[in-house]
Amino acid sequence: MILRTLKPWLFLLPALVIYLIVIFFPSLYTFYLSFYSWNGVSPNKTFVGFQNFTNLIMSDSVFARALKNNLIWTIGSLIFIMGIGLVLALLLNRKMRGRTLFRGVFYFPYVLSGIVVASGWAWMYNPTQGFINKTLEALGLESWTHAWLAEPKIALYSVFVAALWQGVGQPMVLFLAGLQGIPEDPYEAAIIDGAKRYQTFRYITWPLLRETLIIVVATTMIASMKVYDIIYGMTGGGPAESTQVLSSWMYYQTFRFANIGTGSAISLFLVVITMIVIIPYVFYTTKKSHL
Amino acid sequence: METLRVHPVANVLRYLLLIVLAVLFLVPVIFVAFTALKSKPELLTRPFYAFPETLRWDNFAKAWEQGKMSMYMKNTLFICVVKVPLGIVIEALAAFALTRMNFKRSNGMFAFFLVGMMVPMQATLVPLNIFLNKTHLVSTYPGIFLIYVGFGIPFGILILRGFFRTIPKELDEAALIDGCGDLGKFFRIILPLSIPAIATLIIFDFMATWNEFLLAQIFITDDTMKTITTGLMSFRGERATDYTLLNAGVLISIVPTLLVYLIFQKYFVSGLAGSVKG
Repeated sequence: MILRTLKPWLFLLPALVIYLIVIFFPSLYTFYLSFYSWNGVSPNKTFVGFQNFTNLIMSDSVFARALKNNLIWTIGSLIFIMGIGLVLALLLNRKMRGRTLFRGVFYFPYVLSGIVVASGWAWMYNPTQGFINKTLEALGLESWTHAWLAEPKIALYSVFVAALWQGVGQPMVLFLAGLQGIPEDPYEAAIIDGAKRYQTFRYITWPLLRETLIIVVATTMIASMKVYDIIYGMTGGGPAESTQVLSSWMYYQTFRFANIGTGSAISLFLVVITMIVIIPYVFYTTKKSHL
Repeated sequence: METLRVHPVANVLRYLLLIVLAVLFLVPVIFVAFTALKSKPELLTRPFYAFPETLRWDNFAKAWEQGKMSMYMKNTLFICVVKVPLGIVIEALAAFALTRMNFKRSNGMFAFFLVGMMVPMQATLVPLNIFLNKTHLVSTYPGIFLIYVGFGIPFGILILRGFFRTIPKELDEAALIDGCGDLGKFFRIILPLSIPAIATLIIFDFMATWNEFLLAQIFITDDTMKTITTGLMSFRGERATDYTLLNAGVLISIVPTLLVYLIFQKYFVSGLAGSVKG
């Protein structure tokens, strides 16, 4: 009897122990550290209460910038990465020659690492030899050339274009999967009733795609909160901290400036914001899997 | 049915639009490939869009050697080859307990694991760093595997549990009658039937591990153990001016993921589709 109740736990044990060590306890400890001032080396941590948080909000202009950049990134991803992904899915959701090839071309960048994309695109943006400025020059548009990654006003958007190139394949595939789950009967009925093309989209495709849309919105927002590799790889947060996001600023505070408390506070912000985004999603998935 | 209603002009427009977009998408890849195949003087003297005069394949050999890429690739491959199966076995055992062992807290435990997906990696780095330093596991393979396996657990359990649930319970009863214990059920019934899900997970996990950067950046301090992403970063720093070699290096580094992607493309998309439908 005891063995029967114990047995499931034996199967769970390896996963549970590793999960506790790697994710669960460290998260709690970060929570604890965010109330201390500590350089990571000294044996003494000083309790400072909420000071790390108030400092970030009141007096760290880079933090404010990072928060704003994450917000810009999220909105940009929802509009452009998700939007273009949906358009591509709609274009490719019918039997046509070359469909697999097109899908492959649009999805391929997504399997590359952020660092590879960053390297390739930094070369595209190279001010003197890069593809973009060279093309503008060849077209006689010299005045349009920029030091794309070195000008604080445009650097974030330059990096975003690279992320867009890398990222549209993901929502495309998810939307394609969603579109294929839609039965044909409602379309047939609609055609008999004389529905126009955009009407079938508005009244059939769109509502039936809602489930997929929830998932894509959630994953897009989570990915936007976590964005790190491509920004670190392309600009390192510069020029003049103009492309810092929460993840990169957390990295600098913690591992470059040895402000452990501040870094922990930033990652807590990240946790809270991510949770606000993901909790509805988790509820939705667990509820669905009970069916 | 739908194809019947498409106007021929609309069809031509659709193709045109797709072709234009596809060309735009391929431009960075072609530009990187052209650069990697040119000589350094050619890069400066001939137009940027020109096909390389002579294909300089030796750039790849130079990048391979000077960028220490053979070392970085070998390290990454080793990590992938150990981490991916190890993680999947651990996740599968847990998913098996959660779906097949009539166990009271299974939903609660599943939710507990799922919470891990909410936690951004950044929120664990400092405590993990302290832990690895205290246990002398920084820049050691046990330390690396522990962390990489750990971060794969929530997603792995999510996917495998989802699939295990679709396997009919009658099979368990038949196995019980045939005298199979839990381990027998796990190895003889559930695992063989789950090959599609496991294949999907292998692909995803391989790519995620191959492309991982943040953890490697912080927890692999020893240069001889660095992975391809961190290696590529330092490679860029050291020879910022030699673009032919850098781009050759970038191309070399994507070969394994490209191969995995091309070979398993079918699984890849159907696996993603499966995860959407839950």
